[in-house]
Amino acid sequence: MSPVSVVGVSHLTAPVEIRERFSFTPTEAESVLGGLVTGSEVEEAVLLSTCNRTELYVCPGGNEYVREAAERVLSEKAGEVVGGTKQYLYRHDGEAAVRHLYRVAGGLDSLVLGEAEIQGQVKDAYELAGGNPATPPLAGPILHRLFQSALSAGGRIRSTTPIGEGAASVASVAVELARKIFGSLEGRQVMILGAGTTAELVVEALARDGIRGLVVSNRTFERASELARRLSGHAVHFDEMPFALAKTDILIASTAAPHPLVTRDGFRHAREGSAGGPLLILDLAIPRDVEPEVGHEANVFLYNVDDLHEIKDDNLLRRRESVPEAEVIVEEYARDFLHWYGTRGVVPVIRSLRSRWDDVRQRELERLWQKLSHVSEEDRDNVEAFSKQLLNKLLHDPTQRLKQGAGNGRGVEFIDAVRYLHDLEAVETDSSEAPEPGDDEEVGGIEVDAPRTDDG
Amino acid sequence: MTHAVALLFYIGSLILWFRSLLSGGRGRGPGIAFGLAAAGVAVHIVALARFTAEYGQLPLNGLAPSLSTVALVIGIGLVATLGLGEGRRVGIVLIPVVILLEVVAVSLGIRPAPDPLDFQGAWFAFHVTLAFVGLGGLAVAFASGLLYLVQLHELNTKRMGRLFQFTPPLATLDRLVRTGLVAGFITFTLALALGWLWTASFRQSFDQSNPKVLWAIMSWFIFVVALGVRAGGGVKERRSALASVVGFSVIVISYLGLRLVSSGGGFFL
Repeated sequence: MSPVSVVGVSHLTAPVEIRERFSFTPTEAESVLGGLVTGSEVEEAVLLSTCNRTELYVCPGGNEYVREAAERVLSEKAGEVVGGTKQYLYRHDGEAAVRHLYRVAGGLDSLVLGEAEIQGQVKDAYELAGGNPATPPLAGPILHRLFQSALSAGGRIRSTTPIGEGAASVASVAVELARKIFGSLEGRQVMILGAGTTAELVVEALARDGIRGLVVSNRTFERASELARRLSGHAVHFDEMPFALAKTDILIASTAAPHPLVTRDGFRHAREGSAGGPLLILDLAIPRDVEPEVGHEANVFLYNVDDLHEIKDDNLLRRRESVPEAEVIVEEYARDFLHWYGTRGVVPVIRSLRSRWDDVRQRELERLWQKLSHVSEEDRDNVEAFSKQLLNKLLHDPTQRLKQGAGNGRGVEFIDAVRYLHDLEAVETDSSEAPEPGDDEEVGGIEVDAPRTDDG
Repeated sequence: MTHAVALLFYIGSLILWFRSLLSGGRGRGPGIAFGLAAAGVAVHIVALARFTAEYGQLPLNGLAPSLSTVALVIGIGLVATLGLGEGRRVGIVLIPVVILLEVVAVSLGIRPAPDPLDFQGAWFAFHVTLAFVGLGGLAVAFASGLLYLVQLHELNTKRMGRLFQFTPPLATLDRLVRTGLVAGFITFTLALALGWLWTASFRQSFDQSNPKVLWAIMSWFIFVVALGVRAGGGVKERRSALASVVGFSVIVISYLGLRLVSSGGGFFL
């Protein structure tokens, strides 16, 4: 059986105006995942929702019902889309889904090749699915293992290859855009809408170029005040935002609002009294905070996340050269995970096999001692030890072959054969008996490998 | 020979400007291109000074000397952008204009006019020099306006490639457009006023059929329109840039047209 499936939409399959319709807030994600795990055949689920992608990882993989349930969740979120949502969705099963997540975590599938932000986003998605103590974990042993391993792979890709070196950040692109419009940024007025980290980074970069004043507006005034204090600006209440907009040269919007906060009518009204100079708007939010029609207004330069990544990336060529090296790491981690997944079904079989023949050994010894009552305690111990040694020798090769076969994807076939040949009853293959992440397990003197979860 | 050396510097500068464009303006290319253009201007000044010394007249009369002087004025206009950082990159548009004018002048032969005008002197020199400076100002406005429209297009289409990287900021270009137009308008107006005063003093009548006069008046109105469009709401910077580009083009095309239809206009420019 395939370990996992992924259904999703990304910058490779859909433009920002479509992607924003698939976007989930953390609260929405938690609610949807809970419903999915309790109300369908889905056993485990993790939802990754970023600016560039929305992906739903589900277990068991390769199951049509599970995949359809996942697709339904995404399609319902997107609502009515011209031509249907399926044209934008991709689906990967089994090995392909595993490799996909490793590539995503490593930044190989990102709009900006090698960008580091995705690592944190993958971690957040994983924690959301397993980190709330008030609810049952939505990521079970398989997705737990997969995401732990993916984060480890992503970290290793960034630490051992130059894929992330000099990646164009949104902040650097924003500064370049601002310079190309205003020339010098000295004396320019900046407003942040929302209190996101990316907006904060952009402002820090702009501040180094001498912006005059900073205004922060957020639905939660306390958060706006806190950010304003940190960036030496001042906070305004959300309903005062239009007044501040009239004096703004650069607007950075990055709220989590589900609908645009700056509409064309509102914008026109807000800018009525302004000098009519250029206004640069960086809409970093998904869904977007600023109506696209605002960009058609005179002297307004509106850029969303997709637009910003179009800017020339000087180091792209060098980073691209490191992709094959990163792909080797992806392959290595994927192989390890799949090996773990294959062998996890073998562990209970080995345990049963061992138990089955140990029972036989003990029964035969008891029968033997009844016949040989004159044998001393010391000799009995020697025979006992010999029988154990013999059993280990006899089971060693079959166990090793079973492990290897499982690692090569023939686990189910071998398990069935072993169960049949050795007459093993009720072999427990339930995933709950899988080895705990990060541990190596020894069953009947035979070590069963678990995949790596760290750089070693 | 000196003109040829100046041309070589200009051509070298042009090659470097285009190489810089291909690299998105990175590195020292734009600086070296500007330096070569400045060297060309210096040699050009020497060449026209030698002309003045050799023939005892300023290079303001006759087609070839006049074209060479206009080219020099435009070159000086470029050198004047020295302190404007990326604004110096208007050289990529101005240098081809300079080269074109200088090539035509050298091809025609930079010699003194066979029939020196009787009104040569300080009066005439001021009139012509101011007119040339006015045209130089409009040329700078044209180059800056053209790059403004290019940069605006890049920003609006969100392509942000090498052209975007190379082209100066909108604000810098708008400042150059405004400066070129204002400086050009003032000097050109003074030139026309001096011309009118000279006519009133020496000829008592204004020759309205003279193509040079018509062309000069039309050029002055183009300045007025290009500056006038900056008034009012909307994107005045874009309007001004567009007016500068169209205005300069109209002046050049109308000049060529008048040259063709005016058989006896050897003195024209």
